Amino acid sequence: MIDDARLPAPAPRATIRSVATDDLSDGELIGLTAEGDGDAFEILYRRYARPMFGLALRRLGDRGRAEDAVQETFASIWRAAKSYKPERGPGGPWLYAVARNAIVDRGRARNEPAVETPETESDDPGPDEMAEKDWVSWRVHRALEDLPESQRAVIELAYWSGFSQSEVAEHLGIPLGTVKTRTRAALGRLADLLEELG
Amino acid sequence: MNREPDFRELVGEDVEPEERERLEHVHDLLVAAGPPAELPPGLVDPDAEYAEAQTYDFLPRRRTGAVLALAAAIALIAFLGGYLTGQHKGGQFPAIRTVAMRGTALEPAASGTVAIGELTGGGNWPLEVIVNNLPRLPHDGYYEMLLTKNGKPTASCGTFVASGPSVTVRLNAPYNLRSFNGWVVTRHVPGTRGHPAVLTTSIA
Repeated sequence: MIDDARLPAPAPRATIRSVATDDLSDGELIGLTAEGDGDAFEILYRRYARPMFGLALRRLGDRGRAEDAVQETFASIWRAAKSYKPERGPGGPWLYAVARNAIVDRGRARNEPAVETPETESDDPGPDEMAEKDWVSWRVHRALEDLPESQRAVIELAYWSGFSQSEVAEHLGIPLGTVKTRTRAALGRLADLLEELG
Repeated sequence: MNREPDFRELVGEDVEPEERERLEHVHDLLVAAGPPAELPPGLVDPDAEYAEAQTYDFLPRRRTGAVLALAAAIALIAFLGGYLTGQHKGGQFPAIRTVAMRGTALEPAASGTVAIGELTGGGNWPLEVIVNNLPRLPHDGYYEMLLTKNGKPTASCGTFVASGPSVTVRLNAPYNLRSFNGWVVTRHVPGTRGHPAVLTTSIA
């Protein structure tokens, strides 16, 4: 019988630490951020800076204040990443909640009236409608960040530049058939992404 | 909002019903979401802001890794924000609303803002337009900013030339803004066909 005490101590169990890459989910990146992983934090920043700025701009109505709010929100995410519980849901909604709270707090902190739209009338959206639009825009704009540039260009020109498919083809210098192929591929990819994001 | 794209034109007819339904849902979400905001330069690359800020004596000079750099950049920008904003407000255009512009596929790096001033008694909306990364055009070339209606450039707010990486110009919209959906900046180069859009925005 071998005396265990005389055997060399077992080698420590090898561990493989996750490396932040663009393939990781938002939740995994938040987890790495909580461990102080700057690369993970930067990927989150790239994915969410634009949706967050859009949310802040809609809520605060001023680019300067919105820019400050985004900076503060990312600082909050850095500090609060440890509080994220993956078992409670995907990372995207958690980030949205942190952003919304930070932006709303910022709006309340300044005792300033909201910037008014020129000739504003009663057709402004109510709080529920605004919240719904915020959430839809957040998810869609986040998903857009993951589209290949070639697909994103056709979506942006078709939806937000008012271009017909023929005009998109002319502007990009590509055949009309390619525009249609890219558009359909982009919509399909967006559908996948939106399902993944929760 | 610009002209809403025709879903059937976008995806064609030869799509399985289940897939069509899935794609149409995304189409509806894109329409509802509206255009994404264009990031201001300070948010495009916070690391650059950090590096620039390091020239101050009271700031840390040595990087301890990307994570600290980015976190420090955020904290630093927040710290300096009040000071910088205070410095800027002296000559600030009195905007009641600011709208972002983003580059089209022709000029994807371009961006800009349209600050809308108070409506004057004479029916003018003063505008301060800041455009970034629009290339300098050949001799006699110029950019034109127009209000759009249903996605089509309709009413001119003025013209300008781009002489540097960032240009600020004062323009005017002598129209009822409610009649329009957004703005577009078009490029005019003598001897070339058409006036393609290089910047777009919409009044969301």
